[in-house]
Amino acid sequence: MKRIFKLYGTFVAQHCKRLMEYRIDFLTGAFSFLINQVINILFISIIFSQIPDLQGWNYQQIIFIYGFSLLPKGLDHFCTDNLWKVSYFIVRRGDFDKYLTRPINPLLHVIIEDFQFDALGEFIVGIYLVTSASIKLGLSFGVVDILFLIVAVIFGALIFTSIKIAFAALALWIKRSGSILHMFYMSSDFARYPVTIYNNVIKTIITYIIPFAFTAFYPANYFLTGANPLFNIGGVVVISVILLGISICIWNKGLGAYESAGS
Amino acid sequence: MKNPFKTYSAFTKAGIQDAIAYRANFLGFFIGEIFYCFVMFFIWKAVFNSSNSPTFMGFSMIDMTLYLFLTNITVFLTDTDSSYAIGEEIRDGSISMRLIKPIKIDLSLLFFELGNKIIIISMVFIPIILGIETYRTIATGGIAFDIVQFLFFILSIVLSYLLSFYLNLAFGYLAFFLMNLWGFNMLKGAILRFLSGGAIPIAFLPIWLQGTLKIMPFASLNYTPVMIYMGKYTGTDLIYYIGLQFVWVIAFILLCKFIWHLAAKHLCVQGG
Amino acid sequence: MIQVNDLRKEFKKTIKSPGLMGSVKSLFNRKYEVVKAVDGVTFEVPEGEILGFIGPNGAGKSTVIKMLTGILTPTSGTLEINGQIPYKDRKKYVKEIGVVFGQRTQLWWDLPLTETFSVLKQIYQVEDTAYKKRFDFLNEVLDLNEFIKSPVRTLSLGQRMRADIAASMLHNPKVLFLDEPTIGLDVVVKDNIRKAIQEINATEKTTIILTTHDLNDIELLCKRIVMIDKGKLLYDGSLNKMKRNFGQAREVNLTLFHSADAEKFKFNENFNIGQDDLHSTIDHKNIKINFNTDKVTVSEMLNYILKTSEVRDIAVKDVDIEEIIRRVYKSEVTL
Repeated sequence: MKRIFKLYGTFVAQHCKRLMEYRIDFLTGAFSFLINQVINILFISIIFSQIPDLQGWNYQQIIFIYGFSLLPKGLDHFCTDNLWKVSYFIVRRGDFDKYLTRPINPLLHVIIEDFQFDALGEFIVGIYLVTSASIKLGLSFGVVDILFLIVAVIFGALIFTSIKIAFAALALWIKRSGSILHMFYMSSDFARYPVTIYNNVIKTIITYIIPFAFTAFYPANYFLTGANPLFNIGGVVVISVILLGISICIWNKGLGAYESAGS
Repeated sequence: MKNPFKTYSAFTKAGIQDAIAYRANFLGFFIGEIFYCFVMFFIWKAVFNSSNSPTFMGFSMIDMTLYLFLTNITVFLTDTDSSYAIGEEIRDGSISMRLIKPIKIDLSLLFFELGNKIIIISMVFIPIILGIETYRTIATGGIAFDIVQFLFFILSIVLSYLLSFYLNLAFGYLAFFLMNLWGFNMLKGAILRFLSGGAIPIAFLPIWLQGTLKIMPFASLNYTPVMIYMGKYTGTDLIYYIGLQFVWVIAFILLCKFIWHLAAKHLCVQGG
Repeated sequence: MIQVNDLRKEFKKTIKSPGLMGSVKSLFNRKYEVVKAVDGVTFEVPEGEILGFIGPNGAGKSTVIKMLTGILTPTSGTLEINGQIPYKDRKKYVKEIGVVFGQRTQLWWDLPLTETFSVLKQIYQVEDTAYKKRFDFLNEVLDLNEFIKSPVRTLSLGQRMRADIAASMLHNPKVLFLDEPTIGLDVVVKDNIRKAIQEINATEKTTIILTTHDLNDIELLCKRIVMIDKGKLLYDGSLNKMKRNFGQAREVNLTLFHSADAEKFKFNENFNIGQDDLHSTIDHKNIKINFNTDKVTVSEMLNYILKTSEVRDIAVKDVDIEEIIRRVYKSEVTL
């Protein structure tokens, strides 16, 4: 394990060097991300300029949920971006062979090989929104709450990672699964708003089937209202661990079925 | 020149086959976008429930629903790969494979994508339009479908696509001058999403901004066809906005020719 | 070192009818067929040997290599390398092998070679002193220093290949798999790469499995070859034996002073053998004779030629193995 962390450090250092080569690319990428966030916030503001609250949730509360949703998403985005490449082209081009000729678990190798520094933008915007909304709402965070926050972010990120692993693994059978992953990943947008606004079908799906609600609304709900920590925080941990287990099973099955490319 | 359509229809055929080969890919992508529509739908439903007024800045819930799904399908139809495709070809040098053939680069790309679009139209556009119309008929309690309006919508969407294609092509040509386009592509995507009304209906923005955006080419990208479909543009408005789209298409075709001309010189200077 | 027994690999493949209608049909109705990419292959490789592994495109070479390197799991059959089964304990197994796929690189595209090496050093857990020793050796053999500081994407193809071979050797593998290591390289660079492979093999006693389409690689590097086609083993043995088995192992080219002299030659009648063992073609002053050295020795042939007519020029050569393989591929000859 120590070895993996050391290797991870080396990859991060390498990546920084690469960023310096493509710094304009990096800056424009980060800037465009920021624009997207501003547009989303602007959208929420326009809505609240016309209504006092959204089914019982006020502007700052919605901002808090939105900001919180960026944290696990950003963490996952930073750490496991290479899974996207697996599902879009690494398998299809036959470049996946490389991971199988190395004495490291291929999944770990794929994950630690690349990062996405753009995700820092997600993280910073998220922290800013959560902090400013907390201040305006007069929320107070005790030591336990902060601990819960960290747990919720880390395990929430694990939910994203698990979904990505499962659908990237699909590429090991069908060569290219990027768009299917995209489809499921997009459904995480549901979690950015209170699940109470959705009908029961969607509510059930995003709670138990593709449990993105645990990456944002449920934990945020606990911090906003103090309600039901067992479900809102405990649920994140339980669901993410189960999901990770399932994903790793799928991944391992995929490795067995992997057919490589070319003759 | 012989029958140009015959030359390029081969590209269209290839495009159709390509789209079929990757149908799972684009269907997955499409369903992802539909998810997004439903997120927005429920948010708007909650907004209208929380509001005392039956309209929101002039949009009823029915309008809003139509707007969401129409914008999405319009973006999907007018979306183009040309910027990315040409950018990559320039970067890895495979553009020379196009240069050595007796064809026009823009047309070969365009006709290839046309094949893609034919599949998209048959697989998602028709069902979505049927869905939208069913919803509109049930929600308004009468048939609101107007064939003339619909034909103008089709015309407008064709112009939107051409504009989108040449705008992106011009952008892709930048790869002749810049080393890497990835960041700029992201930036372009973000800005276009906002300026074209993809993220927020232009009608919700401050008046001064609305005026500017409607004249700029971006609104022509997908706001105009959506407004036509919804019956918000009629009479002289309709003619004006379609005329505007037409002007922008011509402008960007000329821009592409100009950049290509510059780039060709650039290539000579580098000695190939 | 390497033992392969009745190895098989089957793939499921979608059948697609050609053309536009074909793709539309495949939308609704998909048919599969089972392709036997590798169909019962058996061979052995002793330690320290360079084995040439050849066959036409699509013969199943890469599939065998991928099974040997643990990338693919065989459908049936056994394989054991250095006492290990590749697909079973993959992580442990791959520490002892090095793999180079000539058409792909395992180097980090945007970074200098040193960076890739430092990562590989960590991945394979190579000790500092061992690494230094390895690196010095590889640098000497492959001349890495001249480009070690430039980003990999700026390297020439030859440099990149040298770098890739070095990258696969850093952890001192017992077996090295080289899949078309000379593809697309010019003659001089090819020569350098071959020398390097030879030196690595000689110094480190590394067992090397080499696939290639360049038969000069085989001729210069391998004593033994394994040839497969359509998933089946066609030949396993030494290169010389193959040449010997292949009857018409010599070719004589001669140029006469006068084309009229050509009529004097009656090769088949003189040696009293059929077209199978001796075949000649006459083109004005030039005559080409292919013959089986088991039936007619080279000196008998030269004697006859010189006795029969005045000759301006004469050359005797080995039939190149390209010719042999071409005929084997076309199933004109069974070895």
